[in-house]
Amino acid sequence: MRFDEVVLAIMKAVDGQRTISSPYHLIKGKKSGQTIQDIGYFNLHPFFGVLPKLEKSDYLAAVARLQSTGMLEPEAEQVRLTARGFEVPLPTTPLNGWKYRGNERRFFARLSLIVQTMSCFIQGQNRFDPVVSDEAIQNWVKTYLHRIHFRDSVVQHEFRMQLESMLERADAASWQKDIIIERLSGFNIGGLTWDQIANRGKIFPIDAQLAAVEVLHASLAVLEEHQPPLLISLLEGVIQQSALTESAKRTQSLFERGFSLQQIAELRQLKTSTIEDHFVELAMNDPAFLYTLFMDATVYEMIHKTSEELKTMRLRDIKQQLPEASYFQIRLALAMRGAGK
Amino acid sequence: MNLEKLLYDSYGFTEFRPGQKEVIEQVLAGRDVLALLPTGMGKSMCYQLPGKVLPGAVVIVSPLLSLMQDQVAQLKKMGEKSVVAINSFMKPDERERVWKTLEQYRFIFIAPEMLVQPYVLGKLKGIGISLLVADEAHCISQWGFDFRPDYLRISEVLPSLGNPQTLALTATATDKVTDEIQRYLKLRQPFIYAHPMDRPNISYDIRKFENEKEKIEQLLRMVKNYGGPGIIYAGTRKRSQELASRLLDHGIQAAFYHGGMEQQDRIFVQQQFHNKELEWVCATNAFGMGVHIPDIRQVIHFQLPSSIEGYVQEVGRAGRDGKPSLATLLYVDGDERLIESLVLDDLPERHEVELIYAAGAEAKQLVEQGLVRETAYRILIYWRERISMEGTLNQMELLKKEKLRQASTIRQLVHEKGCLRQFISASFDQETPVIPPNCCGFHGIDHELFKAHRPEPKRDSAPSWQERLKAILPI
Ligand SMILES: [Zn+2]
Repeated sequence: MRFDEVVLAIMKAVDGQRTISSPYHLIKGKKSGQTIQDIGYFNLHPFFGVLPKLEKSDYLAAVARLQSTGMLEPEAEQVRLTARGFEVPLPTTPLNGWKYRGNERRFFARLSLIVQTMSCFIQGQNRFDPVVSDEAIQNWVKTYLHRIHFRDSVVQHEFRMQLESMLERADAASWQKDIIIERLSGFNIGGLTWDQIANRGKIFPIDAQLAAVEVLHASLAVLEEHQPPLLISLLEGVIQQSALTESAKRTQSLFERGFSLQQIAELRQLKTSTIEDHFVELAMNDPAFLYTLFMDATVYEMIHKTSEELKTMRLRDIKQQLPEASYFQIRLALAMRGAGK
Repeated sequence: MNLEKLLYDSYGFTEFRPGQKEVIEQVLAGRDVLALLPTGMGKSMCYQLPGKVLPGAVVIVSPLLSLMQDQVAQLKKMGEKSVVAINSFMKPDERERVWKTLEQYRFIFIAPEMLVQPYVLGKLKGIGISLLVADEAHCISQWGFDFRPDYLRISEVLPSLGNPQTLALTATATDKVTDEIQRYLKLRQPFIYAHPMDRPNISYDIRKFENEKEKIEQLLRMVKNYGGPGIIYAGTRKRSQELASRLLDHGIQAAFYHGGMEQQDRIFVQQQFHNKELEWVCATNAFGMGVHIPDIRQVIHFQLPSSIEGYVQEVGRAGRDGKPSLATLLYVDGDERLIESLVLDDLPERHEVELIYAAGAEAKQLVEQGLVRETAYRILIYWRERISMEGTLNQMELLKKEKLRQASTIRQLVHEKGCLRQFISASFDQETPVIPPNCCGFHGIDHELFKAHRPEPKRDSAPSWQERLKAILPI
């Protein structure tokens, strides 16, 4: 996917219901209640946090391109796509931002240092400037290399074969795979900067960065499925056991121990609204969430019915039709819909 | 003690570089030492080797995070394992781990603002310090081009460290700065080693042009006709990008480098330059640290540097291998105006002084609110503890004059009618150097020496990922 397509995909989902800046926060991976709950409402899991360093100016440039090509209504506060914007077919994507949470970067940092080290040792160069300066990564790689007996040429060969097969299987285009390998370095071979990659391929640097994330997500899926012995341990601590934010996790464990929403707020000295955000997050990630603790099944059904009839996810519109439901109940019910899919 | 044997056993080198042995002998004899050694002459060996034999730890105070990281990386690369860097960017758990195991380390790099904290001092005192090293000691000079107020506090903490022996290292210092270093670090009858600053293998040249267009054309000629590896100091980030893309258009292997790039990209540019995949780097003054390439043949200044110290430092990256190298400064009338405004930009302004003095304990918030700049804050907090607001305002006036004087030294250099080498030496109070062949624009340079021998560029298409992977892991 190109960056503009990612923006367009998000806009298609939130059309008419969110502001122009909401896709930006989602792509950057902002951990606010609003952004996280939108992922569930609108099924935007693939795109969460895929470019954490996204510059506002790059985002606005994409918005301007969508406007000038007649896909997006100009000068609206809210996202309003044109008929044309809706019709553009979008490619499928291996992106899985909600699952990997930016941890693909840790995976790639490990891989970069391992590959560089092997490359230098294979060619008799035992002293070199490490391509990754993060000490935690350096220590991890040191232990890993020691464990796999990386000086053994059989191991080195096997490592390359597993890496090659991971990429062969990864659900991404070969120009994207070119990019990820250009970001690796070795003995007498430097990695390429985003600008160099972009220049060579006549694309925007941001598209090159996005392509790299796509290949990484696709590769991580391959590793999980095929479990190649040398590469699988690179996933240590990369794939989160739980999709919840840390804070929501704490709320969850208190909830499981029988504390009420009110009690949790007092115990954690947080606002009730924050704890409500956590419950929305829990509901979003758990199709079996016991919403009946917070509302009757009839209220739940009514909320969904109203949302479908009005064709909206906007809380205020639903609330107007259903004054007896609280905002929290509406958010919870809508979050369940996302989880059920 | 046989120092040569120690050097060989420790690091595998068979001989010292000029100055190292003299300095190390005096350090091991227990004297305070002030060493003026040009960059790239192996300054760090002056504490590395003593660290091998002294009973306690060596603490190295280092003014810049990037410099510190580079030195740690270099030491590790030489096989030194007991090295640690302590700075305020460490994560709390990381720092905790370091405090617990501090006595295991032989070389402790520390940022000056960390060193002055009582808790840190207590920890350091607990493990016993044999040698305190003030790296880049010229940062102590408030008149200097990279004054770090925290450096002035080093002497305040020496007693609580049991007044350890001190080694001050710097690459650039005038007599005035040398005096200041001695005074502020309270060096006791120090042994002073001053390596001649002059670099006879560098030819200095200054070219003047009517307008920007001619300047760029000259740049392209220099790059095409005379070879690299070379650095072009472009002045601004934007300029570095523009120049790199001009060079690329002409089929020259070039890339840009500046502090606004992500760290991985900066490392990649260094790698490529190191591997000779790149011939030219167009950079801001952020480029240089961590670049250990002995055969840089050309340094071109497309913009005026802001001080003569900065100029000498940047030019000094050329020709570390001792072979002929070319340093060319390209100048268009009016270039110095940009420099003067840049130089003064760094100084605290009157309203910042007033805000800091009025703010009391909450001064730091002014930085967060964007009312006072971080650099100004550091300087002003130091002075606020010591003198009145009037005094500080006076101080800033003096500083402004000094900065302008430095900028004017650069202007004098540009308009110098005589020998550039002599001018540079004189501005560092050095003795008049011998005039080498190809000395400077005034004495004449045979540019034939620098003719590019560039192989025909290979125009093959980029390798596929499979091919590149195989090239990286050829097994
Ligand atoms: Zn001369």
